[in-house]
Order: sequence, then structure tokens, then C-alpha cells
Amino acid sequence: MKSPAVRLTVNGTARSLDSVPDGERLLDSLRWRLDLKGTKEGCRTGGCGACTVLVDGESTLSCLALTHEVDGSSVTTIEGVATDPVGARVRAAFAEAGALQCGYCTPGFVMALTGLLREQGRSAPVGELLDGLASNLCRCTGYSAIVRAARLAWEGSP
Amino acid sequence: MTSFELLTPATADEAMAALRAASGDGAAALAGGTDLLLDLEEGRVSTHRVVSLRRLPWRTLDWTGASLTIGSTLPLRRIEFDPRVRSELPGLLDAVRAVGGPALRHRATVGGNLARAAPASDLVPVLLTLDAEVDLVGPGGDRRLPLDRFIEGSRRTSLAPSELIRSIRIPEARPSSYLWQRVRPANDISQIAVAVAFSPARRSWSVAVGGVAPRPVLVPAAAEPLDGPRPSEAAVERAGAAMSQLAPVAADKRGSEEYRRRLAGTLVGRAVRATVGRMPP
Repeated sequence: MKSPAVRLTVNGTARSLDSVPDGERLLDSLRWRLDLKGTKEGCRTGGCGACTVLVDGESTLSCLALTHEVDGSSVTTIEGVATDPVGARVRAAFAEAGALQCGYCTPGFVMALTGLLREQGRSAPVGELLDGLASNLCRCTGYSAIVRAARLAWEGSP
Repeated sequence: MTSFELLTPATADEAMAALRAASGDGAAALAGGTDLLLDLEEGRVSTHRVVSLRRLPWRTLDWTGASLTIGSTLPLRRIEFDPRVRSELPGLLDAVRAVGGPALRHRATVGGNLARAAPASDLVPVLLTLDAEVDLVGPGGDRRLPLDRFIEGSRRTSLAPSELIRSIRIPEARPSSYLWQRVRPANDISQIAVAVAFSPARRSWSVAVGGVAPRPVLVPAAAEPLDGPRPSEAAVERAGAAMSQLAPVAADKRGSEEYRRRLAGTLVGRAVRATVGRMPP
């Protein structure tokens, strides 16, 4: 049985994906069908956060989501993050804090933090925000600058 | 990974029919997929048909008086933002927050966690101390089971092949806590975990241990010394000692038996004291 096309709005643009196998992950559709290589594959088991994107505004591990399961959703990747006011603030905070070394984990951290700030803004204490980032890994262990960036973005939130 | 066909039925009846009609190696029901997709990829689950539950109207959270019903496909993250869960079932909040990180919890569900029955499930110990019940729909009709009977072992439940979890029900608000020990705080599996809850209706405590094979269990002997909502320090010590001695703990790659026994006792003491601090005034 042939599956229907998957319709997504990716970074504000409507996309229709044909012939997506039923078992394909959103991560692979983004990278290989849409050529959005900013979303990284780390562990592919939901353990590192490198593949985090926003699905309908909520942070999501794209390695653990089937593309067909998010049919009809709006997806934001690192390439489109600056069009979101919260995402723009997070990106600026990462730049100001110098919160990257090799940069591989950075898209995941930026998307995860954008999702957390969109959900709660400053209504949650900054400690809760940092707890929410504990599931993202930085193998360069550049965590103090990432924490500094998160604090900056939190302080700049409405 | 074996390739599979993904079906997306619109009703529970259609979903059960799709599961029932599967041939050969059967079918798997898909909720959030955060556990099932890994097992499919690694070949630990082998099936050529996956039935998605995403169109079923089960993403619900309803309070009826003091009892809470959570739809099986509600993402765990939604539970975190319910104000009454935060104040009236704090142990459930602890446990939900122990599962992965926020991005995982936007997809992972209660129903998926219970149906997959991982030995180190963070939700099962707390739900045992809350006397949770599981509501099932199946071809033979609806039935309701205590969680303790639903989970039969490691990755084993009493779900029939085409039966589905519709919801879980927690009968009353309970001061409660869930504490765990891990190598890494997020996205890791607990070496040992302890849940405690105080039932205002029964005026008694429940204590459960998780992170132990084959499944989380209640440890009544660890609850027995705890008398009333504010037990004495001596009673708390006795509860911890009973847990250390009697918890069904074994060694595996995540820790020795001795280490886990000592931790289990220590965590019971901490969890009871934390729960006393959470009692309504």
C-alpha cells in the first residue's frame, strides 16, 4: 500500500513529501529530503538532543519521530530559528556567550532552549530551565558557556 | 531495521481491528514511539505492522473530585503543567520529570510507558504507591485492572494482543515523592529508585522500589513502620532498614547488590522526609 504524501510547513514554507517510507524518521527527511543539514544526528537513540527541532512550537527529538506521525505539523529547524522572536533571542545569546566549541551540539541546544522559553518564558525559575537542558549533550564539555547563554536568554525574556 | 507499514486508524475499534488483522509476526501499537522505535530499529521488536494511536481522542487529563484520569496517549510533558498535579500529586511530577528530557516528554506517553513495561520505568513505582488502575479496551469489552496486576514482568503485561490502554486512573491526591540514583541525571536509567506516598483516606504509607529487575514492586515491609502522616525519625530509620534488607535487588551492569541495597534504604528515608515536607498544612 502506498502511503499518502506528508504535508509539513518547514520554516514557514509549505512542503509536500512524496514516497516517504512508513518507517522514516523526521531527522532523515529533514537532512536528506529537504537538505536541511543544520539538524544533527548524534546518537539516534534519543540520548543526546543533537537532533532537536520544534514541532508545532514544541521541542521534539527528530530521531524518535516518524515523519508520517507529524503529518500536518509546522516544523522549525535551526535554519529557521531566527524568524521566531524567542529563537532569535536564543541565537543572539549563544553568540554573545560564545557558547560553542565544535558546534555539533549547538543546533540542538538552541532549539531545545527556544522550546523551553516558548513554553514558560520567565514564569519558571532559571534552574528549571537549566534542568530542561540536561538531556542535551556537549561532547566538548563546553557547558559553562552554554549555561551562560541560557541565563542571558532567560534574563532577556518577557 | 525491518520495514513496516504504518496504519493510522481514526477510532479505537479500527485500531483494534488493524491489530487483530495483522498476520505473521503480529502488530505493534504506537503511541509516542520513544521506546518502541528504538526496539524496532535494534530488532528487539520485529513486526511488519505498526498501528499509530495518534488520531484517537485519548490525549486527556481530567480531575473528578480528588481522582485523576489521564488518557493513555497524553504526552508526559502536559502532565507537568497541570497545577493540581504539581500540588496534589507531587510524586507523579517527580517521576514524569525523571523521564528523558522535555523534548522526549513532548512525545512519550503514560500509556506507552506502561505498555512497554521497562523494568526501570520511572512511572510505575510512583503509580504503584498511588494505587493506579489501568482502563483497557479490547475486543472482549472494557476492563479495569490494578497496575500491580497489569505489569507482569520485564517487558510483560497482561494486555491481550489487540487490547489497548485507554487511560489510567489515580483514585486520590496523595503527598508523595520519587527519588532516584543514576550515573547521569537526564536520559539515563535509574540504578535504583524509590517512590513513597501517604494515603489520607487510609492513613497509611506505600513504598515502592524501581530500577530493579524484573519490574518495580511495592515493598509493604518498608511502609509498615511508618505510622501516621508525620512518622518519628526512629520509624523512618526502621523503614529504611527494612527496605535495605528486603528490596528485591540484584547486581547488574548498573551497580552491585550491596550498593543498591544501601541506596534503597537511604532513598526511603529521604523520600519520606521530603513527603512529610509536602503535606498540606
